[in-house]
Amino acid sequence: MVRYAPAILIGRVVRKLARWRKPGGGSAIPGLIVNRIAPGFLARTLNSFPGGLVIVTGSSGKSTTTKMLVAALRAHGQTVFTNPSTANISQGLTSALLERASITGQVDGDIAVLEMDEGHGALIASTLLPRVVLLTNVMVDQIDRFHDSEMVTAMLAKIAARATEALVSNADDQYLADIAATMVPGVEIVRFGVTTEVLSQSPRGLGYTRTTTERMTADDGVLLTEVDGTRAELRAAGHTHTVRLPARGTHYAVDAASAFAAAGSILGPRFDARVAVTAISAIPPVFGRGEIVTVHGKQVEFVLVQNPASFQLNVDSLEAGTEQILVAIGSDVRDPSYFWPVDTSRLGRVLIASGSKAHDIALQLAYDDVQVDRIETDLAVALDDFLALPDPARGQKTIIFSADSMRRTRAHLRLATNSEEAA
Amino acid sequence: MTGMLTIAVLLPELLDTNGDASNARVLARRAEWAGHDARVVAVNSVIELPEQTDAVVIGSGSDADLETARDVLLTLQSRLRELVTSGVPVLAIGTGWELLSWGIEHGDGSVLEGLGIVAGRAIPRGERAIDDLVISSKYGRLVGFENHARAYTGAEGSPLGRVLSGSGNGSGTEGVVMGEVFCTHLHGPVLARNPVLADHLLTIILARHGAAYAAGERATQVDQIAQAARNQVAVRLGLAPEGDSAGNS
Ligand SMILES: [Zn+2]
Repeated sequence: MVRYAPAILIGRVVRKLARWRKPGGGSAIPGLIVNRIAPGFLARTLNSFPGGLVIVTGSSGKSTTTKMLVAALRAHGQTVFTNPSTANISQGLTSALLERASITGQVDGDIAVLEMDEGHGALIASTLLPRVVLLTNVMVDQIDRFHDSEMVTAMLAKIAARATEALVSNADDQYLADIAATMVPGVEIVRFGVTTEVLSQSPRGLGYTRTTTERMTADDGVLLTEVDGTRAELRAAGHTHTVRLPARGTHYAVDAASAFAAAGSILGPRFDARVAVTAISAIPPVFGRGEIVTVHGKQVEFVLVQNPASFQLNVDSLEAGTEQILVAIGSDVRDPSYFWPVDTSRLGRVLIASGSKAHDIALQLAYDDVQVDRIETDLAVALDDFLALPDPARGQKTIIFSADSMRRTRAHLRLATNSEEAA
Repeated sequence: MTGMLTIAVLLPELLDTNGDASNARVLARRAEWAGHDARVVAVNSVIELPEQTDAVVIGSGSDADLETARDVLLTLQSRLRELVTSGVPVLAIGTGWELLSWGIEHGDGSVLEGLGIVAGRAIPRGERAIDDLVISSKYGRLVGFENHARAYTGAEGSPLGRVLSGSGNGSGTEGVVMGEVFCTHLHGPVLARNPVLADHLLTIILARHGAAYAAGERATQVDQIAQAARNQVAVRLGLAPEGDSAGNS
């Protein structure tokens, strides 16, 4: 490993320079340089953790699942190296490793748990030897990538094929079930999934491009048997566990089930279900993912919609009768047609439609018979007026926004940036 | 009264990539706003096509599903012909339109035969066309979005309109109109964004029941939102906004 010492030193110097030039910035640049001068550094370091490498990938839920899994492992006394989700690219990952690497290229830690974008993961998969790969789901993503569930599946299959010990996979996702069926003997398939009852609570399904026709049973893996607000019940190995979720929504409960299943597979006999459940239940909500924030003395729930599937899930899991809703869709939604398969009728009434695509989203809401009181393309004005309204009698003040509108909202309300979900 | 109007949307599970199926909902809502009862029926097989169908919407899907969609549509072919012959309006978008044509030519030279309900055929084009699409038509200027991998030939005699911005069929024209069959690359909620086209279809639908269509009050309000959305695109593209006199060309 000594051969990486010069590269690591150079990377560190560059990192200092980058920080000096732009505090808090330039984090990808040192990684870029090290990857240039020592191309094997990344894979070699990632493959060298004594407890192995775990990769979490899939269309949606990667961030939450990774956080839950890391928390469960740490609660068992494991030292975990993990990546913030913004560092999905090789450079970012290498930079993150550099922060922690000794001069010989060794990174302290028992185990590495990495969240990976499917595209990036597939690119570097051939150099990695993960012990465990966790696949969350296959959902239809941005419009530019449409027609592409097959392509996403091929990338996930490539990553899954690298697993040496176990594949933790969503039993309700047909594309993932197909991947699981192709795994070589000797790699354990660990399943998580939901019951028919839980599935039927989401009349439009869980957003997977293809949902399997049959549900798994509690004998097949970790089964999500109940979701009620932020409370969920898991059935595993003959026991029932109650988990508290970071926010309302069946998708968070599925994330919890997958993290629980993965922790069990990774820790083997050292796994203590109660320890895992306590750790997973302590995951804080994230801004834009159901976190309730106090702004100008008012409690507000922020809901980020990233694609039609997450838009639908969020509409469906909104507390019934929520009376103060602002919807802001920004220029990141290049083609507003994209959202029209979403049935927004459950919103009932929206006080303000905003963002640069305010008219488009208002038009959709109107055809879903949702009353839209006002269209205000100036998001700053919309936010100020919305926050100034007295507290609602029913439900939280709720702001539903696209990523671009989320960034603008944050900047306008001067909410501290949380690098964790800026991607 | 006209009784219950039935808008059939074909294969929404396969052909709704861009929210094209929502055009059926747009027709039903506008009919309701005008005081008529209307319903949307999803048709995934021939037995689900209602006896009394007042309009048909067919949207765009993934190329991976083209052949599957075509095979199901073939079972509907004779019913569709009857509907078209009797003047029932049809709105076909993207691959849904291509499947109603003579056929789809792929880059490798293979051809997927279409239903032959409208003239012309889809042919390969260099790059996927993904952009705003604005056309001038006899109904007025239509604004929307296109995202398609193929051009269209054989529609020059009766296009839906002339391209002002975007790619369209690839020859300066966009879409094809044959009788009451309206085909376009303008995907997603084209009827919500361009209510002139929606109301043209509703006028045909109601005329077949011996009634006249007059847009409801709610439609008039909602159409102002649509106009603002269209103008936003037009201004971005350097075209004159609609308002006093602009728009129709
Ligand atoms: Zn302000």
